[in-house]
Amino acid sequence: MKNKFILVTLTLIVLMISLSACAGGGRLAASGWPGITANGETAYISFNQHVYAVNLTNGLEIWRYPAEPDAKITFYAAPSLTENDQVIVGGYDNILYSLNVQNGNVNWKFEEATDRYIGSSLVSGDMIFSPSSDNDLFALNLDGQPVWTQPFVSKNSNWSQPTSDPNCECVYLASMDHSVHAIDPINGNGIWQSETLGGATVGTPAVSEDGKTLYIGTFINELVAIDTSNGNILWRFPTEGWVWASPVVDGDVLYFGDISGNFYAIDRNTQAILWNIQTGDDIVGTPLITDDGVYFTNEAGTLYALTKDGATRWTKNFEATLHTGPIATGDLILVATDESGLVLYAMDSEGAQKWMFSPSEE
Amino acid sequence: MWDAIITVFINVLLYIYDLLWNNFGLAIIFFTLLIRLITYPLNTRQMKSTQAMQELQTSEEWQKIQQKYKNDKEKLAQEQMRIYKEKGVSPFGSCLPTLIQFPIIIALYQSITRSLAVTPLQLLDLSKHITNGASLIPLNRDFLWMDLSQPERLYIFGFGLPLLAIVVAATSYLQTKLMTPTNPSGGSDQSAQMTKMMGLYMPLFMGWLAYSFPSGLAIYFITSNVASIVQYGLMGRLDWKNLLPKRSKVSE
Repeated sequence: MKNKFILVTLTLIVLMISLSACAGGGRLAASGWPGITANGETAYISFNQHVYAVNLTNGLEIWRYPAEPDAKITFYAAPSLTENDQVIVGGYDNILYSLNVQNGNVNWKFEEATDRYIGSSLVSGDMIFSPSSDNDLFALNLDGQPVWTQPFVSKNSNWSQPTSDPNCECVYLASMDHSVHAIDPINGNGIWQSETLGGATVGTPAVSEDGKTLYIGTFINELVAIDTSNGNILWRFPTEGWVWASPVVDGDVLYFGDISGNFYAIDRNTQAILWNIQTGDDIVGTPLITDDGVYFTNEAGTLYALTKDGATRWTKNFEATLHTGPIATGDLILVATDESGLVLYAMDSEGAQKWMFSPSEE
Repeated sequence: MWDAIITVFINVLLYIYDLLWNNFGLAIIFFTLLIRLITYPLNTRQMKSTQAMQELQTSEEWQKIQQKYKNDKEKLAQEQMRIYKEKGVSPFGSCLPTLIQFPIIIALYQSITRSLAVTPLQLLDLSKHITNGASLIPLNRDFLWMDLSQPERLYIFGFGLPLLAIVVAATSYLQTKLMTPTNPSGGSDQSAQMTKMMGLYMPLFMGWLAYSFPSGLAIYFITSNVASIVQYGLMGRLDWKNLLPKRSKVSE
């Protein structure tokens, strides 16, 4: 009987440890990958417990917020920049922060959300549109005050950054409620809700240059084109896996990846596949299209640099997971790995490394 | 192997969720009952083993050796093993089936949290387990007053009452009490003391799990406890007398 007691006690302890390990200490742990924004001089990276400002000339840290880690504050959404020197970033603590670009001091906090911020804010002129997992889209002025009497409410969480288009005085919000919403930025009223996409979406819709079509990927293995005049679905392009990241429009070509590892370039008028590559691992980040060509990452840690015809220019493996898509700033291309902490790499368009930034431990 | 089990659990959960009007709370309850049905032979064996063990421990022969060798632990252990062997009762017969259920609890817990996927990494991980049912994502996390992805609290006048944790502890206690036959020795021997201790220890532990972890797990515990009580009741072995307060024995 004593043996039985010991056996049961040990099992309870193992069970407790196993459950705790999966839950990250009892609560569902905040987890994601780095979000990067840059303005030519400074890169702003949100990752886990900090937002970092990094000097793009030498890769040195300028500031971090908060200065000391706080278990209650973690970040996933990429920071957004305003014209009046604010860094806008939402946290997993349901708070939207405005930080000073120079020193990371808090300008203001917006605390009306009841769930975490996962999607980045859209800054458009003097307005900030912040999607929350509590189904709301908040519109604030640059002082952090609500502009609409009520937030726009979708039927499910909002994880994707909204987008706007100069052709249309509206904001497009792709929601986890399986639809895209067109919203009046003045009063927050819905203009239209798209036909059902059939699956959730976490990417930002890409807008065609003429503003007539939106493109968005879904979790039911499709890229969908939507008529911006009424929200009707124009066509659906089947993929092999979930389309997580935002597609990118470049002239008549749409570039995007899926989580089965396929990267596609398709003609947006005919939906014909111009070329595609199977990389063997999840593509989660939004691709980068520059005059030099196409850049994208996959989870296996490889950065691909291709010509716009799909020919490989070079590839570089970082031996760590890469979920964030590459971004371009000045002459640099930035990528951030996340497997064992943040490492930000800066390289030129030929893949030659200029510097790397890895935050020091406190 | 473990990943394959989780994948099966997640997909079965999603299938049930789809059938039950996209209600994840009902899906957990139904899935728990399904698991209980699958592990029915195991549970029955455990219950019978427990019964046999307790009958053995209340037998005259057992009581005699407790008295006879109370000062010789080694000899007592030898004699106990002899009786176990003679009666064909395994001392771990009631314990091992319980232990086998722990991996099921962990797998169920992981499938619940992974299915609810409230962070990007969790959602990305979920995408690798779903074979069919991506159109159901994101799952509806609301059930009654609860967010199934969070530990449950019922807010009354601003105070967060952990109602589910209390119900888990209470049903675990009820289960232990109703399924443990009265020990005529009055709980004086070591094994009875251990059983009594476990009877308190286990409900508190289960209550702590329900207090600290997503409420989906608490729903599993409550359903499982109630199912156990019902199953034992159907076998005609519930001991309602155990719920009544006992008078302390007057020394003779």
